[in-house]
This record gives sequence, C-alpha cells and structure tokens, in this order.
Amino acid sequence: MMSFFHSYTPLFELALFNTLLAFSQYVVLRAGVFSLGTAAFAAIGAYVAAIVVTTYGLPFWIGIVLAIAIGAMVGALVAIPLARLRGVFQALATLALVQIVLSITLNWVDVTNGALGINSIPKTVGLVGLLIAVAIVTYFMAAIGSSSIGRAFDVIREDETVAVSLGISVVKHHFIAFVLSGAIAGLAGALHSYNSYSITPNEYGFNMLVIVLAMVVLGGRVSIWGPIVGAVILTVLPELLRGFQEYRTVVQGALLMASIIYLPRGVADTLIGAYRRRRIAEETSRMRETVTA
Amino acid sequence: MKALVLEDLARNFGGLPAVDGIRLEAPAGRITGLIGPNGAGKTTVVNMITGLLKVTRGRIKFGDDDVTEADATQLARIGIARTFQNIRLISDATVLENVVAGFHRHETTGTFANLFGLPSAQRERRALEDKAMILLEQFGMTGLARHPAGGLSYGHQRRIEMMRALAMDPALLLLDEPVAGMNDSEAHSLADIFRNVARRGVAILLIEHNMRFVMSLCDHIYVLASGRLIAEGTPDAVGRDPRVIEAYLGA
Ligand SMILES: Nc1ncnc2c1ncn2[C@@H]1O[C@H](COP(=O)(O)OP(=O)(O)OP(=O)(O)O)[C@@H](O)[C@H]1O
Ligand SMILES: [Mg+2]
Repeated sequence: MMSFFHSYTPLFELALFNTLLAFSQYVVLRAGVFSLGTAAFAAIGAYVAAIVVTTYGLPFWIGIVLAIAIGAMVGALVAIPLARLRGVFQALATLALVQIVLSITLNWVDVTNGALGINSIPKTVGLVGLLIAVAIVTYFMAAIGSSSIGRAFDVIREDETVAVSLGISVVKHHFIAFVLSGAIAGLAGALHSYNSYSITPNEYGFNMLVIVLAMVVLGGRVSIWGPIVGAVILTVLPELLRGFQEYRTVVQGALLMASIIYLPRGVADTLIGAYRRRRIAEETSRMRETVTA
Repeated sequence: MKALVLEDLARNFGGLPAVDGIRLEAPAGRITGLIGPNGAGKTTVVNMITGLLKVTRGRIKFGDDDVTEADATQLARIGIARTFQNIRLISDATVLENVVAGFHRHETTGTFANLFGLPSAQRERRALEDKAMILLEQFGMTGLARHPAGGLSYGHQRRIEMMRALAMDPALLLLDEPVAGMNDSEAHSLADIFRNVARRGVAILLIEHNMRFVMSLCDHIYVLASGRLIAEGTPDAVGRDPRVIEAYLGA
C-alpha cells in the first residue's frame, strides 16, 4: 500500500501543481479576462524562488513570499495597460508577456543561467506542502467566489453592459483578477522550484499555456470545482495513455475537442448544472403533490 | 428627489440621426411615458441617458448635475437604473443571484474582507439575499428563487429585470418595454408596483408599445417618431392628437 502510494507521489504532486496553475487561469476567465499570462507569472515565481535560495542562500519561505508578491505585482503591472483590451486582444497581449518572460529567462544568463536553467535547488516542498497550498488557495477561491467580488466577476463575464449598468467597475475587477492570477501562479512556480530540484525556461512556454487553458476549459470556469477537475483529468490522462505512446497527444487532443463540443461549459459546471436542475424538478413535483393533496 | 431633463438631445449613426434633438422632462415621483413606432429612437434615448452611447449633441441633466459626459458605471452609482428591452440576464445564474447583482452599488464590505472571506462579507451576502427575497415576494416569484433565470418564461425574465433594477434602489428608473409579451392581467399587476415605486419619489420613464398600459399609468407622455418629438401632453391629449394617430397607423 505504501509503496503504491510512493510510486504515485510524483503524479499527485504534478496534479497539485497543475491545480494551482488552473486556479490562476480560472480566476481570470471567471472575471471574463482572456489572459494567457499564467505561464509567465509561474515562470517569474519559479525563477524568483530558485534565485532567492541558490544565489542568495535565503530560506525557502522567503522565496515563496517573494514569488507570490512579485507575481501579484507583475499581474497588476500588466492589468493597467491591458485595461482597455478584450477577448483575443487580451489573449495576444498576454501571450506576448509569456514570450517576453521566456526570452528573459533564456537570455539573461548571469541571473537565470539561460537555457540550462537553474539546477540543484534544495527540495524543500513535498506532497504535504503542495496539499496545504492547494487547500489554502481553494479556500480563497471559495471565499472570493461567494463574495461581492465573485458576484461582480460573474456579471462582467456574462455581460459587461449589464455590469456597468449596475455600477460594477470592470477596470477594478479585471485588476483584481490579474493580481490574483499573478499571485497564485507565482506561488505555483515557487513550489514547483522547491519540489523538482531544477527548472528550465521551456517548461514555462507555449506547452504550459495550452495545457493550463485546456484544464479550465475542460473542467469549467464558474464553479471552483472546474479547475480541480480539469487539472486532475489532464494530469492523469497522459498516464493512462502511456501504452499508446505515439498516439498519446492525438488522443488527448481529440478528447479535448470532443469535450469542448459536447460539454462547452466544462465537466464540473455541466454536472453541477444537471444536479441543480434535478433538485429543482424534484422540489417542484413535491410542491405540486402537496398542493393537490 | 431628482428629475431627469433632456435638452436638445441627439445621436447619429453613420451620419444619420436616430435621435434628433429632443427635449424631455421626467419629474421625481411621476411616471412619464415615451412612446413611438418601431425604430423611433426610444432605446437610443435610454442608452444615452445610461451612458452606454455617447451623445452627438445636447445635454442630459439629473437633479442639479449635468451628467452628459458621465460613464455608465458612475450613472448607475448615482441611482440611474434601467431594464433592457432585449432581456439581459445571467441565464445560468439563479433568479436570486440575478436580483442580488442589482444591490452592487449598496455593498459596503471592503475588498480585503471579500478577498479573505471574512464574516462581514458573508453577513452582507445573506443580508442581500434576504432583501432580494422581499423583492421576489412582491413580484410573486419566491418559489422560483433557486431556478436558473435562463429557463424561465419571458414574463418571468422581464420581472427579474425589474427586480434587479429596483434592487439598485434607483432615483431614476428607465423601463424599456417592461411588459412586452405579457397579457393584460400580468401587465396590470406590474402597473401597481410601478405606481408604488413612483410614489416613493422615484422618477420613472416608461417606454411601451401597449398604449392602454401607458395611458393608464402615465401623467405625461412624449411621442417620438423618426427621432423627433411629434407630440407631448396628458394621455388624453396625446391619444387624440392626429399626428400621433398618423405616426402609429403609418408605421
Ligand atoms: N448601435 C446602433 N448602430 C446603428 N444604428 C442603430 C444602433 N442602435 C439603433 N440604431 C438605429 O437607430 C434607430 C432607432 O433605434 P431604437 O432602437 O432607438 O428604436 P426604438 O424606438 O427603441 O424601436 P423599438 O420600438 O423597435 O424598440 C433605428 O433606425 C436603429 O436601426
Ligand atoms: Mg427599443
């Protein structure tokens, strides 16, 4: 039993890391911001955390705090010039951010060690650390989701015209979403650094961007279950498809396409919607019975 | 208690005037009617008042303030609320959630408390839900509180639009065809609600095609055709005006 658990520890850890990234992507999508910046924020967090420990020899918790703070700051800095952009233009501008961060990590060799990445980072974060981080972020997502901010996010995402007509500030809430996205991805990057001994620039490139977006689209972008479900599916799926090495990416792509076509709201939001409808139907029929009785 | 005043208000689309210099007054505590055939420019007027469209010419005054240049968010915050002719609800959200969204401008919990899920944020949510339930009761929709708004009938959806607007506790309420698609008895029950709202000192501008409904509710009616005011006055006077009859029959 223990050995079974042990052999799957890396997979669990990856699932938790992916869940954090998915939350970073989720929070912007929930607010109606089409940001692809999560990979960039995570790269910044990962490098800040690695450098703090390897170059400056500071304790890892300082690295985590700094990674969150700098992630949030970069999120804020991006939010301001992007405030007027929407949809594909937001996507393109944040994609450019990913490229900028990628080329900095590749070319600022003195600090980042270039394409070789940073190696021999002491492993200070394990499964438990990641679990605690996911639990804390999940709490925050739930709290924010049921607060005034979450309500405003929902209105803005569905209909910006309605939002402004109700006095909801789109600029303010998009700013909050960017800051949260940066902070969560910064945390994720830092934990990944402290969990995996080494980091390289290319981990935080186009691949991550696509996978992270896919997790939230597949899982759902309204309920906080969406990113969790999406992250778990897209972490476990490649393992299950191990036998089909050559077709793996094809199968994965096809599944993603099918889910977008047939479950456009994502697995979690679709299931939650179906459950609610059934409960309402039951309630209504019960009410009818009492009326006729 | 604030009145709405429009002075020489105009808006062009692609050089052609959709609204062409209208003057209108909607006093506090009164229901003012704005009628006219399809395409007359009624919705365009509402969109200018609420800041969704920039004006081409003219001024919009609300109380003592000139709000011509104010943006939509500011206007909502000073108490201008509206309903949408082409119903705009969050269809996946419940009826209750849609109505609660209307309370946004009255929310007092700080960003920090909201981010950290402090008890004050949770208390506020429950308080707003309770207030929303009172509105639902007024509109006879308590039983539908937990239903997704998108699955309900037009009549119910229009009511949700109205509850959301009333949740803003507005000083000016703009109703863009609020009873379209409803039968007379449904419309009748809403008329009472509008009268009560006006009695509290709210200025109401009512846009409606249902002439009987407008005539029975309004103190003063403006008639718009092709972007121009062609008549105004009491319901009786407007109803007899040959230009109005011609505009409606000609349309
Ligand atoms: N965003 C827009 N762009 C271009 N033209 C527009 C726009 N909005 C309205 N118009 C035009 O302006 C004119 C007035 O439209 P408006 O919607 O204000 O009429 P209305 O009186 O509300 O009509 P209805 O009774 O059908 O709702 C119409 O000719 C319409 O085609
Ligand atoms: Mg209209």
